[in-house]
Parts: sequence; C-alpha cells; structure tokens
Amino acid sequence: MSETVIETRRLSKEYIRDEFHITALQDVDLEVKRGEFVALMGPSGSGKSTLLHLIAAMDVPTSGEIKVLGQDLRKLSDRAIARWRNENVGFVFQSFNLIPVLTALENVELPLKLTPLKKQERIDHAVTALKLVGLGDRLGHYPRQLSGGQEQRVAIARAIVTDPALILADEPTGNLDAASAEDILHLLARLNQEFGKTVVMVTHDPHAARFASVVHHLEKGRLLPMNGNP
Amino acid sequence: MLRHLPLVLKNAWRNRRRTVLTILSMGVSLMILGLMMAIYHAFYFTNTPPEQDLRLVTRNKVSLALPMPQFYGDRIRQIPGVREVEAEQWFGGVYIDNRPEHLFARLAVEPDKFFTIYPDVNIPDEQKKAFQQERSACIAGRELAQKQHWNLGDRITIEGDIFPVNLEFTLRGIFDAKDAFMNRSLYFNREYLEQSLPQARRGLVGTFTILANSPDNVPRIERAVDSQFQNSPIQTKTETQSAFGLSFLAFLGNVKLILLSVCGAVTFTILLVSANTIAMSVRERVHEVGVLKTLGYTSEAILGIILGEAVAISLVGAMLGLLMAQLMSAVVRAMPTFNDQLETLTIQPSVAVLCLGVAAMIGLASAFVPAYHASRTPIVEALRSTE
Ligand SMILES: Nc1ncnc2c1ncn2[C@@H]1O[C@H](COP(=O)(O)OP(=O)(O)OP(=O)(O)O)[C@@H](O)[C@H]1O
Ligand SMILES: [Mg+2]
Repeated sequence: MSETVIETRRLSKEYIRDEFHITALQDVDLEVKRGEFVALMGPSGSGKSTLLHLIAAMDVPTSGEIKVLGQDLRKLSDRAIARWRNENVGFVFQSFNLIPVLTALENVELPLKLTPLKKQERIDHAVTALKLVGLGDRLGHYPRQLSGGQEQRVAIARAIVTDPALILADEPTGNLDAASAEDILHLLARLNQEFGKTVVMVTHDPHAARFASVVHHLEKGRLLPMNGNP
Repeated sequence: MLRHLPLVLKNAWRNRRRTVLTILSMGVSLMILGLMMAIYHAFYFTNTPPEQDLRLVTRNKVSLALPMPQFYGDRIRQIPGVREVEAEQWFGGVYIDNRPEHLFARLAVEPDKFFTIYPDVNIPDEQKKAFQQERSACIAGRELAQKQHWNLGDRITIEGDIFPVNLEFTLRGIFDAKDAFMNRSLYFNREYLEQSLPQARRGLVGTFTILANSPDNVPRIERAVDSQFQNSPIQTKTETQSAFGLSFLAFLGNVKLILLSVCGAVTFTILLVSANTIAMSVRERVHEVGVLKTLGYTSEAILGIILGEAVAISLVGAMLGLLMAQLMSAVVRAMPTFNDQLETLTIQPSVAVLCLGVAAMIGLASAFVPAYHASRTPIVEALRSTE
C-alpha cells in the first residue's frame, strides 16, 4: 500500500498532577497512511486529544516511539519542532482559536509570517486559502463579525495555508450547528480527496465519522483493535 | 521581527482603556522625568560662556548670608593666577513696595573693577565713566530699565532692610549683558553703601568675584583661596560662577540629589505600574500563546512579540510625556527666576533620547518576567488556560 505518515509504537502518555498519575494514553500502536481520512472516536477522557497533540509534537510522550512524516519527533529541538509543525501540520481546534484582534486575512497570514515569503506573496497565499474555504468575500472581517461556521472555515484556511501534508482536527464540529458542521466535514473531505491531505479528526459524532475512510476507537487510553471499517 | 509588528500593535490596542491608562501614567511620569532631566541638563551640562568659566565666587563657608572681612580681597589678589578681585554685596531692600514687578536684585559693586570682571557688559564709555566717578550713581540692565520705565538721570530710592539705610541713586548707565540675571539687576557703588553705614558695619563683604587669567588656573585658585583662610575664624568657600549660581539656588539642599531622587522614584513607580498592567494582559493571553505555538511560533518569537508590545506602549507614553514636558518647560521659561539656566529650559534632543531609552527599558524590564513565563508555557498547558 502507500506510504505511512504516522507510526506509533507502544506510545504512552502519563500526566502527573500532585501525587496522581493519570495515564492518558497507553501502548498505542497507530499507523496512518498517506491520503487517509482517519476518525478518532472514544468517550470523553479516553485520550483522543492527547494522541492528536503527540502527533502534532505539541506534547512529548512519556514512553514509546512516534514517527510522523518520516520524522522521529523525539530527535528534534524545540525550535526545529516549531518549524516542522509550521511546515507539515495544520491544526484545527474545536473552539476555532482565531486571534480576535486580527482580520480573517491576517489570521490566515499568521503561519506564513514564519516563512521567508514576501508580504505580497503571503497575502496571495492567504487569499487563495480563504477562497478555497469559501470566504473570499470576508477577508477584512474580524472573528466576532463571523458565524461559528465561518470562523471554523477561517481556522481551516489558516491550517492549510502553508500547504501541510497533515491536517489534525480536534472535534472541529463540536461547537457548530448541524448545517455548519456538515459544511466543515465536506470541506475536510474535499481537502482529503482533492488535495491529497492526510486528515486525522477527533470526533464524538458517528455521523461525522462516516466521512472518514478509517475509524479508530480509543478507550481509557488504549487503541481498540479494528473490527472492520464501518 | 518587523513582520510581527502589526500583531504587536493590534495586541497593544486590544484593551483600549487599559492601554490608554498605561500610556497616560507613563506620559505623566515621563513628563516629570523629562523635565527633571532637562533641568539637570540645564544646570550641569549647559556650556557656560567663556567669561563665566574664568570667574570664581568666594563666599563665607557657613552661609551666603554671612559676610567676610574686606581685607580678604587683598589676600586673594596675591594668589598666582588671579587677575582681578572685586567685592560685591547683595543689598536686598525694597523698591517702592514688595510687589513682584518691583523685585529685582540690587548689588553693591566696585565700579573701577566691575567692567574688568564682567567684560561682556556692554555700556557706552561716558556712562561707564559717570558710574565710576559719581559715588551715588547706579547702572541697570536694559531689561530692568525698560520694565521700570527708567531713563538716564532718574532718581531711584531703595529702602534698606538687611542694612539700616535708605539709598538714593541716580541712574547713570543702562547696559546690555549676555547674562540674563545681570540684565535684570541694578548695580551701584559699594563705597556709597559703606559711607552710609554706621562704623561698626563697615568693612564687610558679601562675596568676592575673582577673575582668573586663564581657565587652567581656575581649579587651583579655587583651592588656594579656601586653604588661605582655612585657619581663620571666618572660612571661605570658592567655586566657579556657574557652580555658585547653583549653590545660590540650592540654599536649602542638594539640587543634584533632589533631582536624581525624583527621577529615581518616578522611574521605579512607573516600573511597578507598568509591570502590573503587563502581567495582567499577558495572563489573559496565555491561551493565545498556545495557539501561536501550534502554528509554529517559537518561544523566542512570542517573547519578542510580548516585549515589543510593552515597549511600544512605553514609547508612545514617553513621547506623550516628552511633549508635555516641552510644554511645561515653556511654562518654566515664562516664570520669573533668578537662574539663567532655567530661562532657556528646553527638552534637549539628548534628554529626549535618554527619556525614550529609559521608557523602552521600563517596558522591557516590566514585561520580561511575565513575558518569559508565558512564552515558555508548554503548548498543551497554554491551550488549557481559559482566563
Ligand atoms: N495537561 C494535563 N494534565 C493532567 N491531566 C491531563 C492533561 N491533559 C489531559 N489530561 C488527562 O488525560 C486524560 C485524557 O485526556 P484527553 O484530553 O486526551 O481526552 P479526550 O479523549 O480528548 O477527551 P474529550 O473528549 O473530553 O476531549 C484525561 O483523563 C485528562 O483528564
Ligand atoms: Mg479532547
């Protein structure tokens, strides 16, 4: 089959709060191939976000191995990881997380400010990304002037503007009404199919999971064995 | 870093009320700081005219209000490097009444030496001669004469207070001097004062003004005069004329120390105010630090963005403060003073640059600790922060 983009071996994450040890992830062996649209499901607290954060190198595992896009994340310095994430990973949050004082265009431009692109090129890229998510006419709007669905589309534009290979979305439809959620899911599916992005999406919603090509279930920090695709 | 400027500025403008308040308090503090530094600069860095550099003033070590014996003048004249010595006496007294427009300095001087000591005093020759020959003659600076509507030949009566005599003068000369204080003062013959005084009060001198023959000799003369009278019952204190001007102003204390402590206190206070505001606004934004890091921003870039914001606010406040300080120094210039340096008080470019530097440092110093902590917060933790 095709190339593996995410590969974990006995990946574990333990949080230590005061005297308590919380095992958020335990011995997770996950493999995601290029071009897959993976849904991660599981009850609250099962470690879905934790897994996503480890894939994005936003957090470090307690033990185990993790290789993303051929890169052993534990071997990179903080600075290199930041750069790696900027180039290779687009992250979409449940609560959009746009910067309120910046316009849609400026929000989307943010990741490009870390690249050597010139001002005009950055704007061109950002406009293209916003057009792709259907917000070509909302460039100068501030987040508070947008609906939730529109905000999430700006966030997706921001996630794809550096043309990363991997899109990670943590309950991207969790804060949206059904219609907006549908739009976002179609958008992610389109990015997956038309642009060949590998998508890993955390969701509670079985309907949302139907957009995925592969569904994984987590429970109490463990990845359940796959029992056939839905 | 420059490409982050729009975000820096927009962040700064995020909580407008808080930013405006910070800018205002920064502005007021920097106004005080700027004004103090300008005064300090005016006192201690202004280039004095060359004649002033050659002049020294000797006074009673205990107080400016106490006199010295007249013979000290002869002893001073024998010190090598001294070209001329002139006895002067602050007369005080009242002209007409005590209203501010009638307040000006009246000094008893020695007319035959006066023009040697003050070569920059510009006066027609015949007026100079009249002043030197006629015992009850007086001369006035141009500004004073104009303000009092005096003409040559006018009679001017000064009622004594420190000295128990009333003196009546005839105005024989009007002069122009570079020195603003002189231009607003009246000078008369010390001999005339002496003869009007009772025997017991004669032979005393308020200050000696010394003219050195070269600037190189000034420091040596300064020391030589005072050591000359070190073992006498009445000791002296000698300093250059510009320094004397300051000690005159500083009757009550150490101007330098006062100015510097005000500057220090102002800087420290604004540092605390600023630190508090920055800490507040950084706390509110830890979540966004997590978002920026997710996008690939490094801790260093985020540190720079937060520090930049603090510095931007400080600099805007400082510019406002300097503007206000410039207005205030115009007010000071318009006020009546006995100090030349204050007459031309202004915020010099060097003071402005220094103030901006101090403001930037305050911004950096007050923001550094919270900014550093915020920028170092692990992403996941920052994203969980909900404040
Ligand atoms: N920074 C942290 N410190 C301490 N415990 C944490 C931290 N992050 C996560 N946990 C714990 O780890 C476990 C897994 O959390 P995680 O956020 O991955 O769950 P989740 O599957 O995303 O849940 P949800 O569906 O509610 O988002 C939970 O028990 C959580 O309380
Ligand atoms: Mg979660």
